[in-house]
Amino acid sequence: MNEEIKLSKDLLGPGLGLIAAAGYINNEGGQAIADAATQLMDEGAKTLLIDLDGTRIINSIGVSILLEILERTLDEKGKLAFCNLTPTISKTFEIMGLVQYAEVYPDRDAALAALGGDATT
Amino acid sequence: MEVVLHLPVVPNVELVAAKAVETLGGALGMDQSRVEAASVAVVEACLNAMEHGGGPVVVRLRSATEAERACLAVEVEDHGQGFDPERAPRNRSSRILGRSTKRGWGLTLIRELMDEVHIQSAPGKTLVYMRKYVENAP
Repeated sequence: MNEEIKLSKDLLGPGLGLIAAAGYINNEGGQAIADAATQLMDEGAKTLLIDLDGTRIINSIGVSILLEILERTLDEKGKLAFCNLTPTISKTFEIMGLVQYAEVYPDRDAALAALGGDATT
Repeated sequence: MEVVLHLPVVPNVELVAAKAVETLGGALGMDQSRVEAASVAVVEACLNAMEHGGGPVVVRLRSATEAERACLAVEVEDHGQGFDPERAPRNRSSRILGRSTKRGWGLTLIRELMDEVHIQSAPGKTLVYMRKYVENAP
């Protein structure tokens, strides 16, 4: 169980940003994702895809920060999407209401095919 | 099998309890998704205990059998002011956007992710009892 979050971010194409996060999504992990989201949005991304491959455990504080990212993307008339969720993370997002407003895809390829990005990037 | 943890209030110590859930749940034959659900619930219980208990948290984990079904039983104990579980807020996902605070989901998650939850609370001692069965109900 790795507590330190590993993060990468890329602007994949016009308006589409990718954040890959693996590790514990707590207040620090959530904030690291939020900072990456802010940078990508400043660079023009309106749609954000957050790939949680490698993330097995989260807490409600971390998810509450993801909800703030969701609000920001909706305020900007953008979109937030997730992929590679474990069943428990998916259920947690459902309980906390995230999946009502965000899109969820089984893996990165499926997400990028739907969102118009390039999976090889 | 029993594990008792005395957790000091330090960053990320709740992951020690999550690791114990993973180890005991795995030894009981619980599948990965049930172990992870129990881990998140125990993490939330520890965070609540540390936030509201104001001091060290005791976590007891043991294998148990209830109505001939094997389960992982977890108790999280703190020594804070206590609260009335019946009056604790029950969050609803339909009211999530636009709220100034998005906190307060701990108890809701615990109740949804565990199979059984019981809370005893009084000034000076709060106990959150949780059970996760090894297998889904038949």
